[in-house]
Amino acid sequence: MAPIISAVGVGKTFRQLKRQAGFGGALRGLVSRDYTEIRAVEGIAFSIEPGEAVGYLGPNGAGKSTMIKMMTGILTPSAGTLSVLGREPHSNRILNARDIGVVFGQRSQLWWDLPVRDSFELNRHIYDIPDSRFADNLAYLTQMLDMGSYIGRPVRQLSLGQRMRAEIAMALLHDPKILFLDEPTIGLDVVAKDAVRRFLAEINRERGTTIILTTHDLVDIEQICPRLIMVDDGKLLFDGELRHLRATLGSRRRLTLEFATDPGPLTLKTATLAADEGAAKHYLLENEAVSLIDVLNEVGPAHGLKDIKLEEPDIEEVIRTFYLNKPKLAGSAP
Amino acid sequence: MKLSAYPAFTHSAFQSRLAYRNQVWANAFGDLVNVFARIAIWSAAYAGMTVVDGVTLPEMVTYAVLVGTVLRWDHARLLHEVGDAVRTGDVAVYLLKPLHYPFAILASHVGHYAFSFVTVTIPVVLIVGFTAGLMPPASLFHAALFPVFWLLSWLVMFCIATLCGLLAFWLLTAFSLEWFLMGIMLLFSGAVVPMWFLPPALATLFSYLPFAWVHYYPAAVYLGKLDPTSTWLHLGMGLGWLALLAAAVAWLWSRARHRIIVQGG
Repeated sequence: MAPIISAVGVGKTFRQLKRQAGFGGALRGLVSRDYTEIRAVEGIAFSIEPGEAVGYLGPNGAGKSTMIKMMTGILTPSAGTLSVLGREPHSNRILNARDIGVVFGQRSQLWWDLPVRDSFELNRHIYDIPDSRFADNLAYLTQMLDMGSYIGRPVRQLSLGQRMRAEIAMALLHDPKILFLDEPTIGLDVVAKDAVRRFLAEINRERGTTIILTTHDLVDIEQICPRLIMVDDGKLLFDGELRHLRATLGSRRRLTLEFATDPGPLTLKTATLAADEGAAKHYLLENEAVSLIDVLNEVGPAHGLKDIKLEEPDIEEVIRTFYLNKPKLAGSAP
Repeated sequence: MKLSAYPAFTHSAFQSRLAYRNQVWANAFGDLVNVFARIAIWSAAYAGMTVVDGVTLPEMVTYAVLVGTVLRWDHARLLHEVGDAVRTGDVAVYLLKPLHYPFAILASHVGHYAFSFVTVTIPVVLIVGFTAGLMPPASLFHAALFPVFWLLSWLVMFCIATLCGLLAFWLLTAFSLEWFLMGIMLLFSGAVVPMWFLPPALATLFSYLPFAWVHYYPAAVYLGKLDPTSTWLHLGMGLGWLALLAAAVAWLWSRARHRIIVQGG
């Protein structure tokens, strides 16, 4: 199948006016203008298949929103080629807009003074949604997102969690092929985050809607997106399945062996000893291919092994280590 | 998209105004005070005379009602809405939808105007009509042409306020533009003093500027101060200004849009 989104060497450079300090500087700024070039996005390449759910992750200022804006057609790339549903999004803005849904966590698309239902009704006209389709979608989304209790209330009276659910419903009423979400869980409490995540995973699975989601929150990605694209400083750092991230980043699993009695020093080929507490020994598994069976085989029955615990490093930790080691990694990249 | 989407904006804007019922009373009271203040000023200025420069006091009372409420457009709301949307980048929300922003704004402001027409203008006209008295249109011809000038006035005002709102994108403040526009409108449009009482040089200058089509010409047509030939002529000139202003809006919007999509706002 042809990719639904493809990016080849996409870059975006902004020109920012250099302002000089002080009154004299302000006066000089009136006659001569210096610009600083800011590379928000640089050499990004990826390809997304229909029905995928992709998490776009990166720290603040990594160029996530810029990339979303380019894919939705409201920013022009300054380098490379970008194709969404076989079209160049910015030169086909209106056509592109019909086929995509967009949710900005920090910008509302609902009418502040109107009941939620009225904003939905407006979208029915904007996207020219057939009546029966609209009714079906509205019923489905109202039930799935549990909006029944507040769909008739003005948006200004809603909690952030309710509003965000309404924003997501609004973006899905016209059956978009791709749903873009820019930090959809920002500022939500745990319960609301969970509701949003479960719904997005469901819509991706049941309706096959392609989802592209930017976030700071790794749990969003763990629960919604099997695939992760990681960026920093506008550049691509990682693109692949979340479970491969650990291998790529070279982070290690922790293994704890507990014995009935202290077996004395015990070195293994499959694991490196990290700490020795006598009866409890902590190892690090450097090699992704080593399984628990390999370790058990090597330890054998002789030492009176009582318990064994294998810990996967938590994803937050993996990524934290990754960003901290970044200069080193970037240096070693080809 | 189908054109039917735009009336939906008109409907939404009208609906959203219902949320603030107290505003209706405040606006109606404001307009009422405004009109009666104008009437009081003209009554004092006439000081017992019946005709000044060929214009009677009842005509001036009617002029005050036309300019003070029938032709009083809420340009500040429009200017702020456009200014804020482009300045904060909220305009992106419109760019994400299959529609054209200026038309969406036009449609929603038709809704805002329809709302204040029903809730403010009609009651104020009725109250003033029963207390101070209003003159009917000067003739059947003038009665027929007044609605055309009235619509033209609204569209010219729409373009001028939208232009100022879009300028906020570069000047980063809609506030000073609002004051500027308010000042210009008061003087240049004949909102306070009709052209026939202004010094001839000023009157001539102002009568060619587009602002005159917002207040002066529609009121002058209603009162029959323009003969039929002159009425048609000024309708043509007004349409010319409208075309020019609409082109300016289209141009400035495309510049703003270009900057948004290239510079990210």
